[in-house]
Amino acid sequence: MHLSKLKRFGYALAILGLGLTLTACGKKSSENDKVTISILQSKVESNKALKSIAKTYQKKHPNVEFKIQSIGGGTDYNPVLKTRISSGNAPTIFSLLGPADVIQFKKYAADLNGTKLAKLANKGTLDTVTDGGKVYGYPYNVEGYGFVYNKEVFEKAGIKPEELTTPDKFQEAVKQIDSKKDELGLDAVFATPGKEAWVFSDHLANLYLGQEFNGNSLKLYKSKSMKFTANQEMKDMLDLEMKYSVKPVMQVDYTSQVNKNFSEKKVAMVQQGNWIYSTIEGIDKDFANNGVGMMTIPVKGQEGKLPVGTSNYWAINNKKSDKEQKAAQDFLTWLYTSKEGKDLVVNKLHYVPAYKGYSDFKMPDALSQQVFNASQSGKVIGWSFPGYTGTPWDQNTMQPALQKYMSGKADWDQTVKTATDGWKKQQAEN
Amino acid sequence: MKNKSTSFWLFLAPTLMALLLVVFIPALVGLFYSFTNWDGLSFTNFVGWNNYLSLMSDKDFISAFWFTVKFVVVTVILLNVIGLGLALLVTQKFKGNNFLKTVFFMPNLIGGLILGFIWQFIFTEVFPALANNLGLNFLNGWLTNQATGFWGLVIVTVWQMGGYIMIIYIAYLQNIPDEIIEAAKIDGASAWQRFVNITFPMIAPAFTVCMFLTLSNGFKIYDQNLSLTNGGPYKSTQMLALNIVNTAYTENDFARAEAKAIIFFIIVASIALIQVYYNKKKEVDL
Repeated sequence: MHLSKLKRFGYALAILGLGLTLTACGKKSSENDKVTISILQSKVESNKALKSIAKTYQKKHPNVEFKIQSIGGGTDYNPVLKTRISSGNAPTIFSLLGPADVIQFKKYAADLNGTKLAKLANKGTLDTVTDGGKVYGYPYNVEGYGFVYNKEVFEKAGIKPEELTTPDKFQEAVKQIDSKKDELGLDAVFATPGKEAWVFSDHLANLYLGQEFNGNSLKLYKSKSMKFTANQEMKDMLDLEMKYSVKPVMQVDYTSQVNKNFSEKKVAMVQQGNWIYSTIEGIDKDFANNGVGMMTIPVKGQEGKLPVGTSNYWAINNKKSDKEQKAAQDFLTWLYTSKEGKDLVVNKLHYVPAYKGYSDFKMPDALSQQVFNASQSGKVIGWSFPGYTGTPWDQNTMQPALQKYMSGKADWDQTVKTATDGWKKQQAEN
Repeated sequence: MKNKSTSFWLFLAPTLMALLLVVFIPALVGLFYSFTNWDGLSFTNFVGWNNYLSLMSDKDFISAFWFTVKFVVVTVILLNVIGLGLALLVTQKFKGNNFLKTVFFMPNLIGGLILGFIWQFIFTEVFPALANNLGLNFLNGWLTNQATGFWGLVIVTVWQMGGYIMIIYIAYLQNIPDEIIEAAKIDGASAWQRFVNITFPMIAPAFTVCMFLTLSNGFKIYDQNLSLTNGGPYKSTQMLALNIVNTAYTENDFARAEAKAIIFFIIVASIALIQVYYNKKKEVDL
């Protein structure tokens, strides 16, 4: 009795299931306007926010489905994109990380010139992804870097960071803090991450190396040579950061720099960007919100200018159906231009916007606010380093050369020669 | 007989198919690509031996090669000495030898990547702390130059693989008949004589196996290298496998990476096979 009841129940369930699948199929075939946008993007920290934004968007546009995959920046992302393209599973929206990616993937990227978003993008932000009059990407956001400092330390030492606009004044201040480091409760003035060569090869070098290219990464990418005339200034700054850093410099990595030393208030400042906010917040929320500021890296002739730029761009796959491309276009336009989207960009993604129409917004943290102010007022230095981050020169020539110098295995003249010769050689081969 | 050979091949077919699909065909495709200018997506022309010839002037590849050779020599010796030593230790009859066996084998159960990160913490956090408190200056600044990077890698590898090699030696040690040892004892052979003249020849097959494993493993190491030093500082601790991956993925030069991989394969295979051939000759049968 019992068993047969159970059996009957089972049958009923099976029939119900079958019915459901059938109706599901029926529904599918009748709803022709359904479209799936698959996104493969390179900013892992945005993964969660992006997924929730997709859900918000879906509520209004129930015909759109999302598939979002986020892969860590730099070297990990590129092979995944390649694999997905060559295996026939190419995403609708993908990231481009600078001119090298543009050249490599422009076959698959739609021309965005003249679209609403392209017109709204801040001046200069599209230069990197423009080739032959065609625009291949939309900037995600802008970011900025400098010396992120501990406000309290500077107050106690009686130094006003905004006045440190020249290398000499800056050096003086560093020495002053160093002489008082015991009473200020510091281990050192800086935490200089010798392990993270990119902090110097990309961010620091940009200020000196990029001068002749006006901070334009595409110009740099296409240049057959680099003069690097301001190299002596870079040496002075690098030496200063190393001399007054926690030791040994070559053992300091990003985590040790930002988490262990800066967030724990053991150093006065670190050379980093507004992206470290969330890390500091995770360790000491109060400190992150009230205790940190960012000052510019003093460079001769560039006083008070913050290096602001972007290295992540959205591209739309031109091999997909028109409908899918349009859906992708609509989504990105909604995200960056609608009232709801703008709010999500600033407060959910924590992006400093790279588009016009955000003037009445307030950034959620002090570091981003500083980048936003600089970007609004135009007191910025362009990012030229995305012009070489995607080329072998960065990781194979520049970074090892700098690390060699920082470990004392090469002198500065050799380092500069290795860098400039290496660039010439690479560019000659291409 | 004919029947047997059909079923023989039939049973072998799944394995052969799998090998064919994931080893032989990709290897052949790779060989093909190494003669082109493939960039991971497409190739436009054939370049003949250019990829191979360019390796001769590739400083990074050559230095990675010598670094790896040094690493292999040191780890093969250390692993076999320590593995055999541990095996001899835990096959003695004393309380807790089974527990020790487990403990020594344990590191082998942890993945190389995680192990690399754990040891990175030890080298860069625990070592300096010890150095400051005990005044042992040589514990400072590990992984910041080639020498400490090298020994760091050696320590991690030996620590991880020592237990595995030990297990193999144990298996062979336990297979030595007690009678022979006893007979030798009665004849008045000392412990050392027993080891050199009986134990050692009896475990020669284990030696062949372990040499092969440690040799090929040493050449192929990648994950520990990636997580412990990532080749740094200034690429001075980059090993062959890491160099090949970087050529493909950061230099975007897939074709040249293929050429490197082919050379790498030929080197590892020939060294390993020569080694097996010579060691096999030495083995004794009862």
